[in-house]
Amino acid sequence: MTGAVPSRLRLAPFEHRRLARKARLRRELTGWLFLAPYFVCFLVFLVLPVLGTVWWSTRSGSLFSGTKFIGLRNFLELPDVVSAWSSIENTLIFALISVPPILVGALGIALLLAQIRHGGSIYRFLVYFPVLVPGVVAALIWLFLTNVDFGLFNEVIHLFGGKPVIWLGADHALTVLAVLDVWRNVGYWAMFFVAAIIGLPHELYQAAVLDGASAFARFRHLTLPLLRRILFFAVIVSTIWGLQVFDTALVLTNGGPGTATTTVIYRVWLYVFASNNKVGFASAISLVLILAILGLTLVQMRLLRSRRGQD
Amino acid sequence: MAGATSAEARLSGADHARQRRRKRRRAEFLRHLLLAVITFILVAPFYYVFLASLKNSTAIFSYPPSLLPLPLYLGNYEALLWNTGFLRWMFNTLFVAASVTFIKVFMDSMAGYALAKIEMTGKKVIFLAMLILLMVPIGALIVPLWSLVSALGLTDTYLALILPPLANPLGAILMRQFILGLPRDLDNAARLDGLNDFAIYWRIVLPLIKPGLVVLAVIIFTDQFMSFIWPLIATTSDDLQLLTVGVAALRAHGGANYGLWSASAVMSLIPISIFFFVLQRQFLARSLAGALKQ
Repeated sequence: MTGAVPSRLRLAPFEHRRLARKARLRRELTGWLFLAPYFVCFLVFLVLPVLGTVWWSTRSGSLFSGTKFIGLRNFLELPDVVSAWSSIENTLIFALISVPPILVGALGIALLLAQIRHGGSIYRFLVYFPVLVPGVVAALIWLFLTNVDFGLFNEVIHLFGGKPVIWLGADHALTVLAVLDVWRNVGYWAMFFVAAIIGLPHELYQAAVLDGASAFARFRHLTLPLLRRILFFAVIVSTIWGLQVFDTALVLTNGGPGTATTTVIYRVWLYVFASNNKVGFASAISLVLILAILGLTLVQMRLLRSRRGQD
Repeated sequence: MAGATSAEARLSGADHARQRRRKRRRAEFLRHLLLAVITFILVAPFYYVFLASLKNSTAIFSYPPSLLPLPLYLGNYEALLWNTGFLRWMFNTLFVAASVTFIKVFMDSMAGYALAKIEMTGKKVIFLAMLILLMVPIGALIVPLWSLVSALGLTDTYLALILPPLANPLGAILMRQFILGLPRDLDNAARLDGLNDFAIYWRIVLPLIKPGLVVLAVIIFTDQFMSFIWPLIATTSDDLQLLTVGVAALRAHGGANYGLWSASAVMSLIPISIFFFVLQRQFLARSLAGALKQ
């Protein structure tokens, strides 16, 4: 660059254009070089499988002995197949009963954590610890809590003179699974909310205190509205996570009793890799799940953008 | 209070301040109390399992449960370490998680650099596709992924465990955000000094986003440490099993063995606890990654 020929500092227009084009091309090439390692993985192991799910969902047969094209028959039969339908139902119920307590609990913990002056880090450490437990291990731990004979829950009930409860029976299994999820996720969202609360404008709260607003009024009319976007994001993302529950159901309850805790991904796995080889069916339910998740993602992107447009 | 004379009602400034301080201290105490109860409930399960892991099977089933693991019984741990593949699973998990983390930190920061700094055609479309597919879980893709990996002849290899997780868009999106946050003059100045993109990336951008890289590494490593469904499907031989898969197999096969299960639960948590203890701040920032990607 610095070595430009001094006799001809001005370039003819066509030369200028050619040089600019060349520079742009080189820049484009550099960009692709930077992007390529990730982009190839993205295409091969994410985009392709998503499209592959669509393809597989139109076929019948087994992964191991070949399949044939049957059009949309999998989707037409889907509503009539009890096992598929109950797995969707279980997953929706699971998300519905696990997400609200996770977020309400997390918000409560976050409000407490944001207001204490000393010792916050030890609480943070302990509250966050269950988040780092793999689902499989969490489920093992909960076997020790829910055991009828020596589980912690029944010991506590016994201490207060109550009757032992069969926690993993048909009545409670899905609820227990949801509570496990609350235990495992509440810390994650609590940390998320703490950061958001600490970042809220301090002056507003000082003004509210001067105006005599009670703690609850401040929460109701300041914190909640200010956190609206954050809360909305948390609702969507935790719902999406809730729809993916699998490992805890496999280890804690084995999908049972019966199919009481067989979730969508659990059912997909059963269709393909356990007893029956219904690969098309598995893909059809997977596609339903993927579409639900994409729908939630799009709603979130749209709403976040429109809000941002407003302010 | 209501019946106080007007002289008393008007508290002196000092009294007022003291009263407010006392009220504040009481509120602080209440908050601590509540938090202590909550954390106790959250942590109690760990202690209960830890306790069980140090008891023999008759002690586990006996009532009332002793709250101290005495006499100490280490048979569960011995059985876990010598009679199962636990150590091998642990090695596999750490090896795979470390490999994915290492590769992905470079890959994602490079992609982030391109997405943030370089004008190129189709960039917007690619970024949008990444955002849209961000939340699609690997569990919903097991059929095509399995057939893809077996078509590539990778079933039952480390590569089968390492490659698919590389596709997750979160890291590249995060890195783009971090790099966009850097002052623009910096790379203009570097360019005037004759540095090309590779030098800018390596010598200026990477050192500046180091805190972000550490957070990213923590995110990837923990996700990988916890991953289950893909490793469950991608591997069949015992030598390649990851911790989560092996522990789940302990549960599934060989009947109820609460002693062994509790020992495996405790041992599984050791590596991640150590990391958490050392990198507390970065781990807690893991939650914030979600907010950043907006």
